[in-house]
Amino acid sequence: MSIIEVNHLSKYYGKAKARGIVDVSFNVEEGEIFGFIGPNGAGKSTTIRLFLSLIYPSSGEAKIFGKDCIQYGPEIRQDIGYLPSEVFYYEGMKVLDLLKYSASFYHKDCSKRLHELAELMELDLTRRIDDLSYGNKKKVGIVQGLLHQPKLIVLDEPTSGLDPLMQRKFFNLIREENERGATIFFSSHILGEVQKMCNRVAIIKEGSIINIQDIKTLQKDNYKKIRVAGNGLDEARFAVEGVNNLEREDGAISFFFKGDINMMMRLLSEQEVADVTIEEPTLEEIFMHYYE
Amino acid sequence: MNIFLRELRANVKSLLIWSVIVALFVVVGFSKFSAYEGNPELLAILDDLPAAMVEAMNLRAFNLTTITGFYGVMITYFALILSIAAAMWGSDIITKEERDRTVEFALTLPVTRSQLITGKTLAAVVDSIALLLVTWGAVLANATAYQTDAQFYKFVSLSMLALFIMQLIFLAIGIFLGCAMTHYKRASSLAVSLLLGTYFLSIVSGLDKNLEFLKYFSPFKYFDAGVLLHESRLEMPYVWLSAGIILVAMVGAYVSYARRDLYI
Repeated sequence: MSIIEVNHLSKYYGKAKARGIVDVSFNVEEGEIFGFIGPNGAGKSTTIRLFLSLIYPSSGEAKIFGKDCIQYGPEIRQDIGYLPSEVFYYEGMKVLDLLKYSASFYHKDCSKRLHELAELMELDLTRRIDDLSYGNKKKVGIVQGLLHQPKLIVLDEPTSGLDPLMQRKFFNLIREENERGATIFFSSHILGEVQKMCNRVAIIKEGSIINIQDIKTLQKDNYKKIRVAGNGLDEARFAVEGVNNLEREDGAISFFFKGDINMMMRLLSEQEVADVTIEEPTLEEIFMHYYE
Repeated sequence: MNIFLRELRANVKSLLIWSVIVALFVVVGFSKFSAYEGNPELLAILDDLPAAMVEAMNLRAFNLTTITGFYGVMITYFALILSIAAAMWGSDIITKEERDRTVEFALTLPVTRSQLITGKTLAAVVDSIALLLVTWGAVLANATAYQTDAQFYKFVSLSMLALFIMQLIFLAIGIFLGCAMTHYKRASSLAVSLLLGTYFLSIVSGLDKNLEFLKYFSPFKYFDAGVLLHESRLEMPYVWLSAGIILVAMVGAYVSYARRDLYI
């Protein structure tokens, strides 16, 4: 069964008809961890706001659990956990009071899970919201989004503000939720995060979906960003198949490579190099070079 | 219910501040009265004032040298203070979710937008009632020092009922503006401007017979303190008109909020 069904969904904002998303369609199946990647302003948050019926579509429809997002919004949200990129809560409330307030809207007893999660995320429940750092507010967001054991978890750039240790705990938590049966919709502009977690990804650019792929295929297709430094590098030797956007700077060359990595390693070993870096291109670079 | 209780708690500070303002106003007002009390020369001064001013300030209907008469003049100021508080509470209780960027949190919980408005409205109504009771209590407490009679107490009770209706009118208008306006920052100032505008209409409408029709546009004219005192009744057509305004504003609030895009 499809947990999320999006059919020709478009959203234009306000009188100026500013582009949000254009004719977006995709499905997310039960139990999937579905990645949603794109640069800032591509329409990721717009799509999520439409799921949560914070905004109304200009055309098309989105269904969650087989029900229309607008018509059945409150009912659907009983089973959705949402973690925004930046969390804002009522200041002047204690963390525990805020979480209890949030829990009071769900038709089940959430207090046990609330305390479990708080302990796991090392969250001090007695502090006031306004005294919390950005990262600690984010932890409140994680507990608040998961305390009702939702069937669908919607994450919008969830790791910003979390230190690496907490990020790892968070991803483990999300994997556990997934094993428990929850479907995850994971929006991010960090490709690495999405690659680690997801089964399938949709890539969105300027409001339109340009690619939906199995994560394994995407990884196979993936380019490496290689930078070689050294004196007397023979630039011409790198003019082989799979090399793109070769650039020469002072004593170094950099390029994108797609193909057999062993072949590239042999090529590199022929050179007298001072330094080599091989890294994942940022999503922006992928967009810039390969989706034009 | 949880929305209602949370809003009540969040609004306690504001309620306390307004209560202090009202209580101080009552104390200062009554201390002024001690100068007028049993001082008929003051009535002679009134005769020298421009007629329009006397009319505008509603000084003619009352004998300022009695506590009842003096209270009759004070009602206008109570109406202003209580209405301003109600208008600001009404618009703020809705728009603060956008201002504090909590609107996404509030609306991604499994609640309907109508439930949110209902909870908030009830909380604001309770606050308005609390402020009215503070006013009432302060008036009665301060009046004990003077000669009061049954008519005075009846007058006070009736005027509180009138003030309550005015609070509800401006509360509803505030809530409507908070729900309907996309520029949420302007909702509160527009609500108060509208209120002051209708107050000046109430003054203008008293200046000239030809402008009398303006009184229908000013809730400050709906419940004339003179009628409250001398006839001991609210004028029913205005009660219905008030109910109509409140109803239209609230329906407008629910409808417009349900249709809006709300996000940070």
